[in-house]
Amino acid sequence: MSEEMEQVDLEEEWKKADPKPGICIPWEEKGKELAEISGDEELFKRVWEDNEALAYTYIWQCLLSF
Amino acid sequence: MTKEREELYEEKLERYVTAMENERPDKVPIRPFVAEFTAKYAGYSCQEVTHDYELAFEAVRKCAADFDWDAVVSNMVYVWTGLTQAIGLDYYGVPGIDTSPDTGFQYLEPPKEEAFMKPEEYDDLIENPTGFLFNVWLPRVSSDVSPVGEETSYRNNLSFLKGGMAMLTYFNSFGEQNEALRSEIGTVPAISGILKAPFDILADKLRGYYGLAEDVIKRPGKVRAACQALMPHICHMALSGADPEGKVPIPIWLHRGCSPLFSPEDFARFNWATLKPIIEEIWAEGHQVLVYAEGDWNHHLEAFAELPQGSIIYHVDKGDILEVNEKLGDRFCISGGLPNHLLSNGSPGQVKDRCKKLIDEVGRDGGYIMDASAIVQNDARIENMRAMTECTREYGVY
Repeated sequence: MSEEMEQVDLEEEWKKADPKPGICIPWEEKGKELAEISGDEELFKRVWEDNEALAYTYIWQCLLSF
Repeated sequence: MTKEREELYEEKLERYVTAMENERPDKVPIRPFVAEFTAKYAGYSCQEVTHDYELAFEAVRKCAADFDWDAVVSNMVYVWTGLTQAIGLDYYGVPGIDTSPDTGFQYLEPPKEEAFMKPEEYDDLIENPTGFLFNVWLPRVSSDVSPVGEETSYRNNLSFLKGGMAMLTYFNSFGEQNEALRSEIGTVPAISGILKAPFDILADKLRGYYGLAEDVIKRPGKVRAACQALMPHICHMALSGADPEGKVPIPIWLHRGCSPLFSPEDFARFNWATLKPIIEEIWAEGHQVLVYAEGDWNHHLEAFAELPQGSIIYHVDKGDILEVNEKLGDRFCISGGLPNHLLSNGSPGQVKDRCKKLIDEVGRDGGYIMDASAIVQNDARIENMRAMTECTREYGVY
């Protein structure tokens, strides 16, 4: 079987994806715009990514379902 | 929920799941993918159920209550045109505007030269699919969304606000619909989530069928790389909408990525090479995929046979269901095979004869679900849907 006929390694594609699935703008990019964080950065990141998932779902649902 | 309804739901769920595991339940399950038929039965127009999803939900519940079906799709008229209008999507033929109020919604594919993605844009899609969709694709498919770098507008801003709120409202309403199907009627919501093949998505929503057919010859490396780039996102979306209990499957509607529309070699290197790993991953995560093979996919049955045993339910549309049963029947549950033209133009007797043949030849050892070949629209006669239901209940007892 030639290389181009072989099935693709999904895990490799997952590693290559940037931004990752579920994200539109990575927290790391947003974080650069902010002043130094004195509080709990993980909390900021988690809530940022929760809302990112909504935007991500919006556009991918438009593509896949509608 | 009353004890009676709960027991009925559990009985139907057990029947449906057992068949999907390719085992033999007490009876052949009935799981018709009824779309605009529900409107006809409930006394609504296609426009009404397409544009007011509460009416669509009500029509599904009325059918589920009146017909002895084991599972139904919560709303098979899934495109709520209120949402697509809020976003400004242009690729729909809307009942009551672009088609008659009694014709189901349509997808409008632009001519090749006006495809939503240009051939020279493959690299942009591959580099960042999500960014491409927001920045390039959405402004092209929506008359309200402004392209990046151009002057914005009131309508642009409203598109995102109304579209986002409307989508959230719509999706949240499925929870109530599913609960009503279960507790008020005892019927199982048949599917959960959405999966599409990367290759199909390129054809359906980005390059168009004619554009993609040209691309597989002129720029095959770009096509394959684009399919690869879409894979993790499509897999993520499928899993994020899956049934948390892993009982009902994630559906995939296979469209135009098969032979003879594409060569067997192109099917293998573009479509199957990037779809199979997604199905395997979904199976590894504990979910089956309902492969709704629209058209005739019998050229590729050997490929589907490579999938892990039990990982899919294979739905037959125009393919030879006896050949499907011969090649896949020992590995997977099979559904469908009742031609839609019989439901619309045949007699109840002809429908019953076909149902008996399906039960005898495909369902004899279990692992079969009764359904029409394709989505049931408003051309199906009500007496024929009754005939399918009654015959399967009477004759399909193991």
